[in-house]
Amino acid sequence: MPREIALADALVPSILLVYLGCLLVLWVIDTIVGHYGLYRYVWHPSLFRVAVFFVLFSAVGLLLYP
Amino acid sequence: MAAVPSDVSVKRPLPWLGEFLATERQAWIFVFKCMLAFYIAAWLSMLFQLEQPSTTMITVSIVMHPHSGMVLAKSFYRAIGTCAGSLCGVLLMSAFPQQRELFLVSLSLWVGLCAGGAVLYRNFMSYGFVLAGYTAAIVALPAISNPYNVFDSAMMRVSEVMLGIVVAGLVSDMVLPERLRQVLRSAARSHYGHFIEFARGSLGGAIPREKMEEAHLRFVRAAVQLEDLRASVIFEDPEARARSSRMQLLNLRYMATATSFQSLHHLINRLQRNNHPRTAGALIKLYAPVGEALSPPPTESTAPKSLAVRLEACEATLPALAAELREGLRQDTELLLEFDSGTTLLYRFVSELRDFAALEATLRETQGRLKGNVERVDFKRANDYAAPLIAVVRSFLTMITLSVFWLWSGWPFGPSAMLLATIFSGLLATSPAPLSATANTWIGYALGMLAAYVVVFYLLPGSDGFAMLMLATMPFLMIGPYLTTRSATLPGIGGGYTLGYVYILALKNPMVYSPEHFFNDAIASLFGLMMTGMAFMIIPTVIGTEWLRRRQLQQLRRQVSLAATAPMEGLLYRFESANRDLFHQIVQFTKPNSTESRSLLAWGLAVHDSGRAVIELRQDIHHADLPPPLCEAMQRAVDALAHLYDAPDRARWEQADRAVDHAIALTMQTLPQMRATCQPALAHLLQLRTALRDDESALAPYIVKVPETPHAT
Repeated sequence: MPREIALADALVPSILLVYLGCLLVLWVIDTIVGHYGLYRYVWHPSLFRVAVFFVLFSAVGLLLYP
Repeated sequence: MAAVPSDVSVKRPLPWLGEFLATERQAWIFVFKCMLAFYIAAWLSMLFQLEQPSTTMITVSIVMHPHSGMVLAKSFYRAIGTCAGSLCGVLLMSAFPQQRELFLVSLSLWVGLCAGGAVLYRNFMSYGFVLAGYTAAIVALPAISNPYNVFDSAMMRVSEVMLGIVVAGLVSDMVLPERLRQVLRSAARSHYGHFIEFARGSLGGAIPREKMEEAHLRFVRAAVQLEDLRASVIFEDPEARARSSRMQLLNLRYMATATSFQSLHHLINRLQRNNHPRTAGALIKLYAPVGEALSPPPTESTAPKSLAVRLEACEATLPALAAELREGLRQDTELLLEFDSGTTLLYRFVSELRDFAALEATLRETQGRLKGNVERVDFKRANDYAAPLIAVVRSFLTMITLSVFWLWSGWPFGPSAMLLATIFSGLLATSPAPLSATANTWIGYALGMLAAYVVVFYLLPGSDGFAMLMLATMPFLMIGPYLTTRSATLPGIGGGYTLGYVYILALKNPMVYSPEHFFNDAIASLFGLMMTGMAFMIIPTVIGTEWLRRRQLQQLRRQVSLAATAPMEGLLYRFESANRDLFHQIVQFTKPNSTESRSLLAWGLAVHDSGRAVIELRQDIHHADLPPPLCEAMQRAVDALAHLYDAPDRARWEQADRAVDHAIALTMQTLPQMRATCQPALAHLLQLRTALRDDESALAPYIVKVPETPHAT
């Protein structure tokens, strides 16, 4: 994957797009988990959410830029 | 600062001390969170080598708020506001790189529109608009003398502002969070409990008008508060998001039940006043089983589920009891009609209350998925465009005056003044007393800069490294957030202090010490703030003034026209919610128990009563097969009523009364032939007449003569 992507002639770091994509994935996970009420098994839901985001983002980031 | 008290202190014999420490604890938690957010933001922005770490810190100080909880909702709208603002800044810069006049006019217009948006959307969205204006100004103003740089500078500013928003959001959400969901749950439960309690307590029959008005005020506040909470909880809690439409439906049922309850009691009250105690007594007797159903014996559970079951059982017994009571009454057509309309209302109330309790029961089941789908309903806000429009004009004029002054004088610190004016014209536009708020903010701002002077020129030069930076700046910085939590006694000072301190501190890596820049910037920003205050003097705010209240009252009366003319689809919820939202805004700034608030309350109740009856009547017209002449007469009655509420006077009252009477007479004539379809319509017409002739309602001054026992036939 290239380091920068030209969006409408503006160079955008591709990690920014990855970031936005991860936010979207997080939102989907969040909705599913909330729908089934699974957050009751988590001690600190918002911390958990941030941690999930970090895991997602780092995993994708490390895959793309080893 | 180890002022965070432990829970041990609560057990002490001094109750006031415990209370004091509890509020102190809240305050210091907020201060701690602010400090954490500030220094994380500063550290990260220096680590990422952003150009102006102070922008990040200013953003944090604008965004951090003691009412934590709706953090994610706010951050979402703030991020959108920042993006929109920066885009607008870049667009303006590319459109008018050489024409500074056009550029400044359009920038002022943008800032004005953002301030208007902040006033229009009174909830957490308003901050998004403030930030949209602020970002546009902060992106475009520094680049004005160097247009080639605007894109880079815009990227830098957006990164700084976004970093501030993200850090503030994460810190408030993760560190010692105050879960709004708990607040929502307990609020919903307490409102439910109150309502059931109130319905049960009225077992003895009539409730005095004042108590009813008080209760109405409470129901209105409850409905609006629940909606506000729901709208923000869905952002932070996916579980609540899954229940969102159910909660909205619950709120609708709550509002509808409260309205039916009030209508029923108005009828009973009027019957008692007009010397028909037997009819009133019969209705009260009919109400007795409902009261019993609501007060289960101590051995049974008081959960909503069992309450719904009891209400359903009670509902089945009501028609028999009603028939029995009807037999015992004096056989006067008029009185029997009143009784019938009362029973219809009571049936409606009981079935609505049962639905309400049943839905509350399903919401309390927290285990697993929710079963079944519910109807989608939407809480409608009632907006008035006068206040936002005035805010737009005011902010625009402030900005344009500052720009003209800047262009003519060639003042190098004009942008600072404009930036401050941008921030505060948005933030203060929603305040009901902006003049004193501006004065307080100004004082706070000046104090903050004084503190920053000491820090920048005496403490910072000797410090080294990030830890020393924290040590040098923290003691004075802490004062700001602490004062913010005391905003009940010192409104505005805390916010002004923090912003002034952080703004003029202008932390950088490496730090720049320049006394003349410091003083020039300080004077410019104080000047900008002063201009905002002057704009509030010249174009005073309309929020909380009598003029706006009169206007909103007019709008509230128009709700009856809405009920009479709008398409039926989803009308009930639209009517009930917009009504409450509007009424909430009207009574927000009136003194309780003043004559004004009395009359407003009376109007609120009258509009509620008649509007609901009109909607029910229109449903009858649409759905039941009534003969066409009857439908026409009813439609005329509905129109006449809408006409009356548009601009109440005696002639219109007479007209409406005659139209309703005529419709009643016609319905009575057809009643023997088609009892099933005419009965509900007749009940609603009677309810309309009750509301019209109620000599304690707001319509009382327009009543021409009170016909004691008018013979409709």
